Amino acid sequence: MEKEKYFNNGNGIPQAWNSIFGMGMGMGMGMQTSEGFFNQNCENSVDQRDIFESALSSIVSSPASSHPGIGPGIPIPGGTGGNESIVVRELIGRLGSICNSGDNNGNNSTNNSCYNTPLNSPPKLNLSILDHPIPGNSVPENTILRNPVPGNPSLPLAQFSSDPGFVERAARLSCFSGQSFMGINKLSTQACEESVSVSAETETGMKVQSTNSNVRKRKMVPKGKGKETQSSSTSFSDKDDKVVAEAEKVESDAKRSKSNDEENGNEKDGNGNGNEKQTKENAKAEPPKDYIHVRARRGQATDSHSLAERVRREKISERMKFLQDLVPGCNKVTGKAVMLDEIINYVQSLQRQVEFLSMKLATVNPRMDVSIESLLSKDMFRPRVSMPTNMNPFDASAQPFPYAFQPQNNGIVPDVSENQFSVNPLMAAMHRNSLMKPSHIDGLGEASTFWENDLQSVVKMALGQDQPQGFHGHMKIEL
Amino acid sequence: MSPPHQPTSINPNSLKIQLAYRFLHNLNNINTKRSNLDHTQINRKSHRVKVAAYASMAFVTGSRRAWSRSILRKIRNRGVLARIKKRVDHKASRVRVHHHLNARSTKRRNPSCSNPNGDYIDPSGNLGLEVKLRKLVPGAVMMDACGLLDETADYIKCLATQVEVMRTLVDLYSTI
Repeated sequence: MEKEKYFNNGNGIPQAWNSIFGMGMGMGMGMQTSEGFFNQNCENSVDQRDIFESALSSIVSSPASSHPGIGPGIPIPGGTGGNESIVVRELIGRLGSICNSGDNNGNNSTNNSCYNTPLNSPPKLNLSILDHPIPGNSVPENTILRNPVPGNPSLPLAQFSSDPGFVERAARLSCFSGQSFMGINKLSTQACEESVSVSAETETGMKVQSTNSNVRKRKMVPKGKGKETQSSSTSFSDKDDKVVAEAEKVESDAKRSKSNDEENGNEKDGNGNGNEKQTKENAKAEPPKDYIHVRARRGQATDSHSLAERVRREKISERMKFLQDLVPGCNKVTGKAVMLDEIINYVQSLQRQVEFLSMKLATVNPRMDVSIESLLSKDMFRPRVSMPTNMNPFDASAQPFPYAFQPQNNGIVPDVSENQFSVNPLMAAMHRNSLMKPSHIDGLGEASTFWENDLQSVVKMALGQDQPQGFHGHMKIEL
Repeated sequence: MSPPHQPTSINPNSLKIQLAYRFLHNLNNINTKRSNLDHTQINRKSHRVKVAAYASMAFVTGSRRAWSRSILRKIRNRGVLARIKKRVDHKASRVRVHHHLNARSTKRRNPSCSNPNGDYIDPSGNLGLEVKLRKLVPGAVMMDACGLLDETADYIKCLATQVEVMRTLVDLYSTI
């Protein structure tokens, strides 16, 4: 990882993270690379906090390039650190690890990032550790060293500085920093004050707050290992864009509440506010999910009745459009009344046709027995396009077909066994057809020419096969 | 009606096939009672064929549509009414039957042709058109506008297919 590299470069000591961090801290502190500030944000679940603290990782400060001499073990030039560190920070932050920010303002910059992710910590949480240089030069440092370097008594005196940019970033990343020594907020600064004599810049804190980032810092319960070194504060930052998963929210809430209990009086005050704010935001962040969205355009009424009416009208017009496709000659008609008229006429005409045809069927020679096959074959031969208006199917059936059995299809005649309409040939034919094309499925009976063609061929094939068999004697093929 | 040894039909999803099959079946039932017809018999038979056509449509569509439910109910009731009529015929008390029938029919049709919700397709247009459409589509008298249009669309589709089937049949008969 780049971080490690970074660290290694900085310290020259490849070691485990914690130790490295500790070393780094020690180094940094000892070096008093005052220019470097950093903040550590660590996420911890409450449970892990202890572990976390114990296993705490901490910050690294890299001396600015301007003071290379000061930091003996830290070869990172501040200038490069500024840019690179940002990139690295983003990458790492994405990965749920820490971010460094190195800023160089008037002073030499400092790059550092550290953080610790306890192994148990959920991967979702990101630790963002940023350090922010304060131009003015108050260099706050955080020491979250579990093992304070003995040589650095000055560590506890680190000052915390917060960078608004950092806060925003942290908020964006929705990182919860379990332990941070950042003086991002007032709160944190207060915490710092407690444990450390910090000159906390309330200005920066104010700034941060003005940025509307919700970053809370919590103070961890000091373990008392180090003298004062262990002042750990946890900062929780919520994203402003409410994308935080609910689980996370819950978790963070739990964390918050627990940590609140542990907090000191000062922090309690500050965190209390922060908590309220955050809970409010969480409530806000959960939008109603099942909710039919009706959007009123400009100038449209927005009361519920109007909206409902609009929805209803849209539904109606949609159905009208559908009907328009269904009813021939209705395409060019505009206006609902005219369309309704057309529809009514069409339905009436259809019903009249049914009546007429039924009368015709009644008068037609009733002795004719019909097999569905003949019906189907005839049906198939009729071109679909002219379906509603084509009264004579034989015009259509006279069309040339590439199939050899075509003339025979027209001439299928039910056998002499009149009135004994036996389902057998019918079913046999259907069954055969289905065997020919078992998996064929047609969505709509009408208007699928594709299907028509298929079935046509199928029927023909079936007929061709059936011819020698004579169809159980029920069917006779006329040529 | 389908024999057990013929599990599948050609295309069970095809509306036309189903309609044709069903209609042929109905028609065959009618035709079995054929005789040499005079005028009144032809009228009666044509009526029966028509009923058979609608019945096949409704049967194929099933109970998922209001119009088919309405037709099926009508057909069922027709049988019931016919039986009642026949029974009462034997008793030769036709008048009471008429009363009975009228009572039944008026009870059902009283709220007819009125839109319960005041829910019209085109409030600014001619309401008579919509009422007319409601009368045309079976079972649509008590429906809101959206439902009416839905039913109309489905009904039209089915009816067109049925007309097509019947026309094919007529052509087949007349040309043979």
